[in-house]
Amino acid sequence: MHQILTAFGGAFLASLGFGVLFNIQQKPKLFFAGLNGAIGGAVYEFLLANHVSSLAANFLSAIVFTCAAEVLARKMKAPVTAFIVCALIPLVPGGTMYDMMIEIITNDPYEALVLFLETLTVAGVLALGILIVETITRLIYTGTIKWREYEKNRQARID
Amino acid sequence: MVENKIEIEQLLDTVVRAGNLLMSSGAEVYRVEDTMNRISRSFPEVQNVQSYVTATGIIVSITMDGITRTHIARVKDRNVNIDTIDQINELSRRCCKSSLSIEQIDAELDRIAVQKRYSFLVTTLFGAIGALGFAIFFNGNLDEIIAAFFIGIAIRCLNWSLNHLKINDFLNNLLCAMLAAWMAVEIHSFDPKASINVMVISSIMLLVPGLAITNAIRDTMATDYLSGLARGAEAFLCATAIAIGAGFVLYIWR
Repeated sequence: MHQILTAFGGAFLASLGFGVLFNIQQKPKLFFAGLNGAIGGAVYEFLLANHVSSLAANFLSAIVFTCAAEVLARKMKAPVTAFIVCALIPLVPGGTMYDMMIEIITNDPYEALVLFLETLTVAGVLALGILIVETITRLIYTGTIKWREYEKNRQARID
Repeated sequence: MVENKIEIEQLLDTVVRAGNLLMSSGAEVYRVEDTMNRISRSFPEVQNVQSYVTATGIIVSITMDGITRTHIARVKDRNVNIDTIDQINELSRRCCKSSLSIEQIDAELDRIAVQKRYSFLVTTLFGAIGALGFAIFFNGNLDEIIAAFFIGIAIRCLNWSLNHLKINDFLNNLLCAMLAAWMAVEIHSFDPKASINVMVISSIMLLVPGLAITNAIRDTMATDYLSGLARGAEAFLCATAIAIGAGFVLYIWR
């Protein structure tokens, strides 16, 4: 529990900092961007604490924070990217990249290669999670518009 | 006839400018193409629009009265500015709802282009807070958290001044990573409780091209392969610079 809370707080501060670096201007948007990052970080840490593999944890937390970002973007009238980008930052595999570099300078290229692949897969899995949610929301969105048009046409025909 | 010709040139200028602003603010390729098409189509005279956007350049053709004109623009700046993306999005939505004139759109773009970013002090402070947040996220102890804050300030200052000297990104990241690693080593020798790993990772996260990596993959999946590769190369170069910089210092001091 303690770990999840620290992850929540840390991810909040990190996302907030990056929100300012990425120039999000309004304060409420900034706050919610940070909060979204905190949600992503906390979910990630929670899954890790429940013995989920690191890849799956990254994937699931990407799905969770992208869903939250879609909702927030519609409520706050901001592009979805604003919230996704900030929430993504704490999950970026910077630590793995650092370990890879350490392996290279301590002359262990095989271990470095393994870590390089891990960095790539984690980045890919994060992008995949984001992409899946975005595709599904777009489907739902266009689907409802089409459905409404269809209903309207049908009503007109009946009238 | 002559009037129409002027108008098509003007419209192209405006549309390309909007696209350029978006692209240099770190928007995705599909969003840039979509916005340019929307703005052009909001004029009823326009018969056809084709836009082709890559991470480094923009090509737009507009057909009006059977005449097609094409503009090309090179995208040079590359930073992240979500506020600009937000406002241009809003502008294109307004274009679709109530057709604005070219002059109005131009005036709006002028306003958006010169809009102020957060000041140096604020970005430095929040960059440092970000580094502090990472130190907490990576389970650092109190000493490491405080150290990460100050390393973050130093990195932001160096980054900012190198940016103003127009030094390229590769060298910029390399020097910043060197500074971070060197400061971490020094702090560790003062205070052995603070581990180098946590300090370096959490301060280096400020430089890691996380956005570029993910944008590259997203562009690739949206079938914009060229931009995906370009952004991937950018991210790879950036990551290499950081690894070389930090690795070099750690190798010497080890």
